[in-house]
Amino acid sequence: MAACSVVRRLVGCPRWHGGQLMRQQVRRVVSTQEPEILKHQILAETTVSRDHLTPELALHLITPACHLWRAPPHLSPFPDPFWAFYWPGGQAVSRFILDNPAVVKGKTVLDFGCGCGASGLAAKSAGAKRVTFNDIDEVAMEALQLNAGVNKILVDDMTTTNLVGSAGSPHQVVLAGDLLYDSKFAGEVLTWLQQLNRSGSLVLIGDPGRFALESHPLKASLQCLAKYELAATTLLENSGHPQAFVWTFS
Amino acid sequence: MKLKPEVRQDRPSTRRVQGIRGRVQLFSIKSSPFTITMSLRVLVGVKRVIDYAVKIRVRPDKLGVVTDGVKHSMNPFDEIAIEEAVRLKEKKIAKEVVAISCGPTQAQETIRTALAMGADRGIHVEIPAKEVEKLEPLHVAKIMAKLVEQEKADLVVLGKQAIDDDSNATAQMTAALLDWPQATFASKIEKTDGELQVTREVDGGLEIIKVKLPAVVSADLRLNEPRYATLPNIMKAKKKKIAKMKAADLGVDTSPHFEVLDVADPPVREAGIKVEDVDTLVTKLKDAGRI
Repeated sequence: MAACSVVRRLVGCPRWHGGQLMRQQVRRVVSTQEPEILKHQILAETTVSRDHLTPELALHLITPACHLWRAPPHLSPFPDPFWAFYWPGGQAVSRFILDNPAVVKGKTVLDFGCGCGASGLAAKSAGAKRVTFNDIDEVAMEALQLNAGVNKILVDDMTTTNLVGSAGSPHQVVLAGDLLYDSKFAGEVLTWLQQLNRSGSLVLIGDPGRFALESHPLKASLQCLAKYELAATTLLENSGHPQAFVWTFS
Repeated sequence: MKLKPEVRQDRPSTRRVQGIRGRVQLFSIKSSPFTITMSLRVLVGVKRVIDYAVKIRVRPDKLGVVTDGVKHSMNPFDEIAIEEAVRLKEKKIAKEVVAISCGPTQAQETIRTALAMGADRGIHVEIPAKEVEKLEPLHVAKIMAKLVEQEKADLVVLGKQAIDDDSNATAQMTAALLDWPQATFASKIEKTDGELQVTREVDGGLEIIKVKLPAVVSADLRLNEPRYATLPNIMKAKKKKIAKMKAADLGVDTSPHFEVLDVADPPVREAGIKVEDVDTLVTKLKDAGRI
């Protein structure tokens, strides 16, 4: 844990006991790897990239320059490294926030399924009061801290609890970048996000037009806020979807 | 279906293609009236076959080839078909690409590959492993036709043939069952208003035809170069939806229409001999009755 505290100091992250405890619990279940080893692995397997819709943010990502890019999934030292890619929906939400900082300025924000943390970091740099980063993947939390460090942004709060279905949200804005890829999970998430919206949170959904969202009945209750053309390199990791959209409940 | 030659001089694209390779014809194929929406739903067939790099061995019972423990992958022409459908989607001509495979449980891996290449969802028509080699193009064509109806598809793209049985029949039969126009051996697909302009590879050159949509297209080798499924695409594809059904659910009877009598290796070429000089060569050829 020593290395972890060092990185925390570098990042300027205050200790947050709830999150710490949760991460330890999860680690026992899914991984025996220490955070410092994880961080070394992340640094070894990724490159820092600004080649996306939000070049303001530098992110540790698996890009075509990394050997894992073309590797079959079983060769990856991380199980399903979703955090290692900047998914189009996340890019759209982040771009939207950076272009419209008033949406998050002075507000409490939840970056749900944050992955690499880009959308939350965008919110933070757009002046959000407090951002809670949430992802069930413990490795994502380490990657997020590295990304926060590169961009000299303070991480105030993070949790690996699965929040889907949790009643009420104290957050004024909820970001959901590219989470709707699995039809079953998308259904649960959309229903929950609609509840959050009804209880007063502004929900921003980023999605490139994946089937799970396009075919969902709740799609009819969404309103498109923005549409972005994706960068050529993003297209390489996102076959079939040349654009990304930001949606909110109308 | 009527074939009506059109005036070639009106088509600048015709002349362009003419310059590349041989003879060019231009035909227009009429189909039933159909109002086309701006974006199409495309069904693509993907067959699981023995990998192209594997040396094929005939089974001891001489009624088929050895498939157990042999590497399988997607039929290469189907990879081209999926790639083209995904490109149509990226050009916003298609709105949804559905990958369909008729085969054993492992055919799901083939569908996953298609999903990783960019298809939106999959349909697995499960055929018991024992019946797979008895599945005929007509069965698959009937399944495709039923799925077209169910999915309200506007375009079917298939590989021109599978590299295992080389039948080259499913696309044509599917078009016939649906009474849709067909554009087989496509090496280029362009969309014009409510129509597809397809360049076909024919003996001695290229042929450009126009087909009204809905239509069936079969992909030839030069249509495109399929993309490699990278890690991020494979990861997201794991979560894409694959619907499972049986041929019977679609009302398709898959009992065989023909029986395999014998499967044999190609004849082995006899070893040659070396001769000392030209005279010996001439003598040997005379002896063999060749000259």
